[in-house]
Amino acid sequence: MEAQKVDMFIMSNSKFFESHQINVIRERLIALDDSKWAMISTVQLKDPTTSLIISILAGSLGIDRFMIGDTGLGVGKLLTCGGLGIWAIIDWFMIQGATREKNMQKIQQFLY
Amino acid sequence: MTLNRNKLYSIMFIACLAGYIWLYFGLTTNDTENNSVEVCIIKHTTNIPCPSCGSTRSVMSLTKGNFIEALLINPLGYIVAIIMFLSPLWIVIDIATKKKTLFEFYQKIEIKLKKPQYAIPLILLVIFNWIWNITKGL
Repeated sequence: MEAQKVDMFIMSNSKFFESHQINVIRERLIALDDSKWAMISTVQLKDPTTSLIISILAGSLGIDRFMIGDTGLGVGKLLTCGGLGIWAIIDWFMIQGATREKNMQKIQQFLY
Repeated sequence: MTLNRNKLYSIMFIACLAGYIWLYFGLTTNDTENNSVEVCIIKHTTNIPCPSCGSTRSVMSLTKGNFIEALLINPLGYIVAIIMFLSPLWIVIDIATKKKTLFEFYQKIEIKLKKPQYAIPLILLVIFNWIWNITKGL
């Protein structure tokens, strides 16, 4: 794909990924065929800020984990009152990274 | 943080260990004192019990053999007790035989739970249980 298109994608979506992944994504996108652009540009990514807000408000019910797709961990959090409250607090700091990892997994199926 | 077999097993193992320690402290502290230490954030901040409040008490009465009392305190205690009892055994067997049956089972359950026909009834059940918890005033 053209570098300009890819850079535009990276610029508008960089907050959805970990910083160390962005270079890999950029290289892969440049090597990618143009026909995949439609899929790449319309893929639905989860906003890390939204999941942080949900984690702070409803973290001890596990709703943040349910939202990013970790249903099993969400059930675990729900059943244990957010891991006796400790896991809920840990997740305030972990959930943004987890969301970015999930986004990376989602876009990876188009990249390779 | 992609979940793989070893990560899931260590998370579950630590969670079960913490659960058993928690249970041990719950059982050994004196019952006549006003209840065990309550750690639930929701209950502390809003004074309303959360859906799983009371599951410690429920599991504790299960260990004493009061099955009906456990059900009346919080039915979720049964699920917690089953998971706490089964998962360490399953993990040990899996590690001993170098298989990943629990991990595959976990992934299968996760996919099933995401389907609306399973998710919606379960969410409703949890909400009803929550309402019951609030009316009981746990």
